[in-house]
Amino acid sequence: MSRLFFREALCRAMNEEMARDPRVILLGQDIAAHGGSYGETRGLFERFGAARVRNTPVAEAATVGIAAGAAAAGLRPLAFITYLDFLMLGLDPLVNYAAKLKFKSAGQLSAPLVVKATAGAKGQGPTHAQSIESWLMNVPGLTVLAPSTAGDAYGLLKTALRAPGPVVFIDHKRLFPLGGAVPDREELVAAGSAALRRDGRHVTIVAHSYMCVVALEAAELLAARGIEAEVIDLRSLWPIDWGMLADSARRTGHALFVEEGQEVCGVGAELAFGLRERVAGLCVSRLGARRAPVAASAVLEAYTIPQAHGIVEAALRLLGGAARK
Amino acid sequence: MIRKLMIPKELGDSVEVRLLEWCKAEGDEVKVDDAVLEFETDKAVVLVSAKQSGALRRCFFGAGDWMKPGDVAAWLSDLPNEPLPGAEEVPEETLIVDFETT
Repeated sequence: MSRLFFREALCRAMNEEMARDPRVILLGQDIAAHGGSYGETRGLFERFGAARVRNTPVAEAATVGIAAGAAAAGLRPLAFITYLDFLMLGLDPLVNYAAKLKFKSAGQLSAPLVVKATAGAKGQGPTHAQSIESWLMNVPGLTVLAPSTAGDAYGLLKTALRAPGPVVFIDHKRLFPLGGAVPDREELVAAGSAALRRDGRHVTIVAHSYMCVVALEAAELLAARGIEAEVIDLRSLWPIDWGMLADSARRTGHALFVEEGQEVCGVGAELAFGLRERVAGLCVSRLGARRAPVAASAVLEAYTIPQAHGIVEAALRLLGGAARK
Repeated sequence: MIRKLMIPKELGDSVEVRLLEWCKAEGDEVKVDDAVLEFETDKAVVLVSAKQSGALRRCFFGAGDWMKPGDVAAWLSDLPNEPLPGAEEVPEETLIVDFETT
């Protein structure tokens, strides 16, 4: 294992996949000579050239549309959306065209594009910091991946670039300053495989992306109170690793779902219901963003989005029997 | 006087940094404006140069090592042969340095 910055893990995945498959091309704002908004494409333009690493204008609908068309025509485009919020402009080609193509053509056509977008709040305010990944889980035909570590970013991006259909790969602004262990040899992480980040027997905490980091902090605080929380990193929002979730939930009997996006119709809403259907008698609860836009003020941002102490309180409430039995 | 060379405690939003290379070796003289070490954040490469003269005496990290903001990277002394304190002692004085970010 080597310790790499998050951006370096992404860059290594792209480097390897572009060398392996000449159909992989990159489209996005500032990704060529500039090296990407987070430095994640540094060196790729110099290595693979302008035909495969293409700067695009600030026109996300066109970027995703071109990527979807190029994918249908036989390429494997990776489209960069600087902030996940801007994917709203590209939803029509992604949802109506790319995700439907296999179904509409009875499996004769496919659009294997990857959209990589950066979610999460870090002072950017209402329209540049949203976590809207639960919207995407609602779309048949889309794979949705959201790693929380550099190692998984590497393994999942490689999987995305080989997937048969459209994938949305979601990273997070607060993950980029972190380093993490990345395997020295090539290793893929399968879509639909969650990861156990911490063992515990009292409550299962399920999170994805940066909220895993926060959930692990909360698990430390709970441990100080004698409560052993098991932390599961979803890694893949669709498909969902129901096997791992159910196995853990059966053992603990309590599952808390934490996310940075809106709690209403959020990831946790779907997972809690789905897991109740699979595990009889399970006590569930969820914690997401308050029903307000993401604030630009750091104080209000922290008030709006789950923090470690809020996760601790939610876990204590759940274990105290206040949650639905 | 023994001085510590510290990775700044406040380094934007950096959580960890990686030491790229020492521009001096232990025992080398350091003059004003000499580059001492280079480290990397998630966004930038930072060259640290001395703003006071001395000698680089002990490096606590090697090239490729990960450090955190606030870590003491090295000890320097004003005079080349000043005795160094024991490992458990921490110099009070911080070497004055300059940062160039690329």
